[in-house]
Amino acid sequence: MKTAIAVLVIVLASSAGEVLIARGLKQIGEISTLQLRELLVIGGRILTKRDFLAGLFSMAISFCAFLAVLSWADLSYTIPATSLSYVISTLGARLVLQEKINPLRWSGTILVCFGVALISLP
Amino acid sequence: MKTTVVLTLAISAQATGNILLSKGMKSLVVSDLAGNTYWFSLFLQAAGSPTIWIATAFLTLFFLLFTAALSWADLSLVLPATSFGYVVNVASAHYFLGEAVSPLRWVGTALISIGVVVVARSDTKKVESDRKKERIPTEVRG
Repeated sequence: MKTAIAVLVIVLASSAGEVLIARGLKQIGEISTLQLRELLVIGGRILTKRDFLAGLFSMAISFCAFLAVLSWADLSYTIPATSLSYVISTLGARLVLQEKINPLRWSGTILVCFGVALISLP
Repeated sequence: MKTTVVLTLAISAQATGNILLSKGMKSLVVSDLAGNTYWFSLFLQAAGSPTIWIATAFLTLFFLLFTAALSWADLSLVLPATSFGYVVNVASAHYFLGEAVSPLRWVGTALISIGVVVVARSDTKKVESDRKKERIPTEVRG
C-alpha cells in the first residue's frame, strides 16, 4: 500500500511536471547552440518562465517520492511501475499542448505501456 | 539526428544515475520506525552520501538534455523515446545490482524497445522534411 501511494505521487507529479516544462520550453524556442555563454543566457531566460518553474517544482516532488521508494523497493520494480506517467503525459501533450499524435505514435506508446505492464508483474 | 544524439546521451546518463541512486539509498542504515524521524534521518543520510550526489549529478545531466530536446521536439515523441531507458535500467539492475529479472520482464523490455522504434518512426516533422527533400508534395494536415 505504501509503495502504491508513493508510485501514484511519482506518476502524477512527474506527468504534470513534464507537460509544464514542455510548455515553458516551447515559449523559449529551439535551443540550437553549443556555446556556453549563449546556453547560459538561454538558461537564464528559461528560469523566468512560470510554467518551467512550476514543472520543476512538480518534478522535485516526484523525485523525492522516487528516492523514498528506492530505499525499500527494487529498482527493477519501481522504475517500470512509475512509467504509467507515459500514458498520462501523452494525454497531457494532446490535451494541454495540442500536439498532433498520429496513429503510429499512439501504437508505439501503447506497445510501451504493454511492455511496462509485463515488466511490473512480480 | 540531433534528437537521436541528445536522447541517447540522456538515456545513458539516466541509467547511470538510477543505478548509483539505488545503490546509495540501499546502503543507508535507517531504523524501521514510522513517522517524521524516519524521513528526517533518511534525508540527512542521503544528503551525506557521495554516491547519491554523483547519482543526482547524472540525473541532472539527464534533465538538462531532456529539457533541451523539448525545446524543439514534441513531448509525445521525446517521452516514449526516453522509455528506452527502462530497458537499459532493467538490464543494468540485473547485471550491476544483481537483481533477479524474470523472463516476463525481459519480454516487457522487448515490447518497450519495439514501441520506441515505432514512436521514433512516427516523427511527422522528420517525415515532412524528408518528403520536401524528395520533392514529393506533402498532404494537407488538418
